[in-house]
Parts: sequence; C-alpha cells; structure tokens
Amino acid sequence: MARVVEIEGLRKIFGSVRALDGISFSVEEGEWIAIMGPSGSGKTTLINILGGLDSPTSGNAVVAGTDVARLDESGLTRFRAEKIGFIFQQFHLVPYLTAVENVMLAQYFHSTTDENEAREALKRVGLGDRLAHLPAQLSGGEQQRVAVARALINHPKLILADEPTGNLDEVNEELVLRLLRELHSEGHTILMVTHAPAIGRMADRRIELEHGRLVQITELSTK
Amino acid sequence: MFARLLVRLLRGSRGRLIVALVALISGATVISALLNLDLDIERKLAQEFSTLGANVVIAPGQTMQTKDAGTAAPSLMDQAIVLSALKQVGSADVVAAAPYLYIVARSAGTPVVIAGTWLDETPKLDPTWKLDGEWIASREDQTQCLVGRDVAKQFHLKQGSEISLEYQRRSAKLDVAAVVDAGGTADSQVFVNLPVAQNLATLGGEIALVQLSVTGNAAAVGDFAARLAQALPQFQVRPIRQVTEAEGELLGRIRLLIVSMALLILALTALCVLATMAALAMERRMDVGLMKALGGSISRVVGLFLAEVGVLGAAGGLIGCIAGLALSRWMGERVFGAAIAARWEIFPLTIALMILVALAGAFPLRLLGRVKPAVILRGE
Repeated sequence: MARVVEIEGLRKIFGSVRALDGISFSVEEGEWIAIMGPSGSGKTTLINILGGLDSPTSGNAVVAGTDVARLDESGLTRFRAEKIGFIFQQFHLVPYLTAVENVMLAQYFHSTTDENEAREALKRVGLGDRLAHLPAQLSGGEQQRVAVARALINHPKLILADEPTGNLDEVNEELVLRLLRELHSEGHTILMVTHAPAIGRMADRRIELEHGRLVQITELSTK
Repeated sequence: MFARLLVRLLRGSRGRLIVALVALISGATVISALLNLDLDIERKLAQEFSTLGANVVIAPGQTMQTKDAGTAAPSLMDQAIVLSALKQVGSADVVAAAPYLYIVARSAGTPVVIAGTWLDETPKLDPTWKLDGEWIASREDQTQCLVGRDVAKQFHLKQGSEISLEYQRRSAKLDVAAVVDAGGTADSQVFVNLPVAQNLATLGGEIALVQLSVTGNAAAVGDFAARLAQALPQFQVRPIRQVTEAEGELLGRIRLLIVSMALLILALTALCVLATMAALAMERRMDVGLMKALGGSISRVVGLFLAEVGVLGAAGGLIGCIAGLALSRWMGERVFGAAIAARWEIFPLTIALMILVALAGAFPLRLLGRVKPAVILRGE
C-alpha cells in the first residue's frame, strides 16, 4: 500500500521552544491515525506542518509525494487546495456564506465550482435541508458536518482533523465520528488529533507525543 | 462564484461598508460638482466678462493720414472697409460691435465731445452704464441722444430736454433720451447715432474706432483679434488687455482653488475609507486565515476584498456624481446666476477617481495578505 505521509527527523522550533523534536513516522494510504498527547506536546504543530499551514525548521515531511518543507508560500497554497482536507475544532466556517457556499469556497480555491456537487456533499452529511442556512443558523454539530463536507469536496489525499469533536455534545460527536468512520471505510486517509482516549481507540494506530517527541506508536487494529 | 462571494461580502459587512459608502458619496458629490464647475467655468467666465463690454478695438494704423475735421484731427478709417472685413471674419463669438466717430462740437458756445456710434449696440458694449431715461433702440434715430452725467449737469439737461449741437457752420437739435452715469470719460460726452456726427463733421463713411465685445477666454479673444488683424492689415486690431488678462487671472485663481479643494476632499475621503477598512480588516482576519488555509492564494483572497472596495468606489462615484451635478447646478445659480451645464464626462472621471480613492483607502485590506493561517486559526 502507498505511503501518504512519510516524515523523518521533523523539527519545529519557536524561539527557545522545541515544538517538535525529531519526529519520524509514516502513514499508509487508507489509515486512520489518532495523534494524542497532553497540551503543548506538538500535536497541532505536527498537523499544521503536514497540512502545509506551517513549515518545519528541519527534517522531511513528504505528504502525497510532496515534501512540504521545500515548498514556498504559493506552493504551500496549491498543496493545501489540492491535497489536504481540514476539519477544525472551531469549525471555521465563513459566517456570511451559506452552508453550500462554504463548501463551494473550497471548490473555488481548488479549481472551479460545482454547486450540484456541493449540494450532494452536504446531503451526504445529512444536511440536505440546511443548504441555504448561514453558520449562525446551524447547530455546532451541523456546522462541523458542513466542515466535513467542505474537507471532502476536492477529494483530498489526506484529511487532517484537529479535535473535530472537541466542541460538540455527545449526540453531535457521535454523528461526526460516524461520518469519519464512513470516510475511513471508504479508504480515506485520516490524521486526527484528539484528547479523548475513546475516540483515539477508533483509529488504526495511535501516535503519542510528549514535549515534541514521539513517545509511543500503538497498533489498534489490523487490516 | 466570484460575483456570489462579492455580493456576500458586501452584504455581510454592510454596516461598516455603508460608512465607507457615505464617505465616498460625499467625496464624489463635491468632487464631481467641482470638476463640473471647473470644466464649465471658462465658458461661464467668458460670458461674465463679455458683459463687461468691449474687449477688442480696431483703430487706424500708425501710418494713416489724418483728415482735418475742424477742432479735432483724428486718424480715420473707411467705415465700409472695416465693416466688410468684420463681416467676413466675424463669428458667433462677436456679442456686439459698433463704430465710433468723435468730434468736438459746441453747445451754447461751450466745447463738448460728441461720440457718434450705433446707439442700439451701446447696451451690450457698455452694460455697466446707469441710465436715467431710456436706451435708444435704433441706430437710424437722428432725433435723440444720450448725455453724460457731467454734460447734463453743465447744461442743466434731463430726460426729455433738448440739446443743440454746432460744428463749424452745421448744427443739430436732439432730444435727451437718457442721462448716462458711466463713472468715466463717457460722463462728459454726448452720444449720438453715427450719421449725426458724420453729418455734423461732413465725414460721411468715416470712423475713428470700432469697439467689439467678443465672447471666449483670453486666448480665444486673442485669436479672434489676430484673424481680424490679418483681414485689416492697414489698421490696428488689439484686444483690451485689462479685460482679457483679468479674466485669465481670475480663471487661474478659481482653477487653483478648485484643484486644491478637490485634492483635499480626495485625501479626506481616502482617510475616512482607510479608517473604516482598518476596522473591517481586523474583523476579516479570521476569514482570510481560513480562506488561505483552504488554498486561497493571496492574490485571489485580497483581490476579492479589493474588488469589493472597487464596487463600493464605483457605487459611491455614481451616486455622488448625480448629486454633484445637482450641486454644481445650484452653485452655478448662486455664483453666476445661471445653471452650470452638466458635463457627462464627469461621470467616468469621478467614478474612476472614487475607485482609486477607495483602493487607496483599502490599504489595510491589502495587509491581510500577510496573515498566517496557522496563527489565525490558533485564535491568536
């Protein structure tokens, strides 16, 4: 199976703080990886580098065949548009765009927009009747499902989810996790940051970070 | 999608954008009114100055022979030649023209200057005169005259009085149609129609001077005088510099004032837009961070915001232009007593200026291109 992520000796230093200190691991296509660790352990920094939102201080981070460490700003922009689907804890929807327009925004930055495809993506996450609603008119769970639809619309090689259920109640958390399980079963590669051990156990592997170092990789299921 | 995003952006921040729009409309209103005034001011000033009277004079050349005309011996011109040339060169720009023949006659034994002219043209050539009585409407009228204030005082004349003029052995009796208060040399003269003076002096077909009132700016008057001089090489044709130079100087001052005001208004409008956009940029940092995280390039994201500002500038320019035309009409009526004509070229000019001002004021939005998505999405 092809490797979607391959990182080696990855370091990120902010002033005197070593956010990541020589991390190395790889992710196969279709894997679901849970990244866990206490606050300040470097989880979000790792996700940001893999997603092309930040650059490493040293080391290699090859994602879907692209070494993000070697990309300039415009290269990183194209990389994010074409290869990465983001799901954030805070949902991060544009407040003055409707649900379908938020999904189309990702299409717009990727290539061309297709409203029908965006509608289908929202129907798939159970929001067929919320297409023209603004984020303020949607519940937290519904907003996160819009974010999931947006993350999927450009068929990314890698889905990066940073605490995707951190702001949701139990019912909505279950809805979003069910969506992630479906995506995983369809063969999507998912890297998810989470604090919750129960959610972490759903992944194929669990990578634990502490003080910017990889302390443990645990196999949770066999494929 | 671009247009859709633009509409959403405009609607999403309409509170702040209305403030910027009001600033742009206000700026565009004043700018378009000033520009309209500036474009029309030359025509209006020329009209205004044409009411000051003659601004071109045709006089005998230096080498002209003089004719003995009794007590006066002025250089003279052939009336037919001058008027024929004037007819050839004359255009719609000539507001009024009249020949003059001056003689020094006597009334009750006292010398008095007689000016023979076309009295029907006098109201246009000497519009500042104050009359106690009536203008003489026909240049053929040989029974009436206008007398200057000093002459009237000296000979105890008023409207309806009779004055007797003698020149050598010829005489004429005329009724006083009006007493003239000119505030100058005309106050000590008697104005009669040209044939009266020519008959008294037996100088039929001879004139000493032609005065013209020509509309247009100083350059246009100069051009007209030059064309007339070419047609009448034997005579002197010259613009009256006091009038044309005063017009040019006043035009220059008004234009300087208009340009200064316009620049000041543009700067103030840009500052107002700048203040609004600075607040808007702070509000939009999160949106920009997100758009960049989703793969939006700097040019695409910032271009979207600048297009929004451009639309705002165009709308402000268009609305302000309509208001500005009304304002310039009002200003024209207040200043010149007549409406300033609407100049349609003001529309594209004002709209373009307002778009530029809006884009200049949108400098803070351009700084959004520097936003780091990772930093913004962390909530910093």
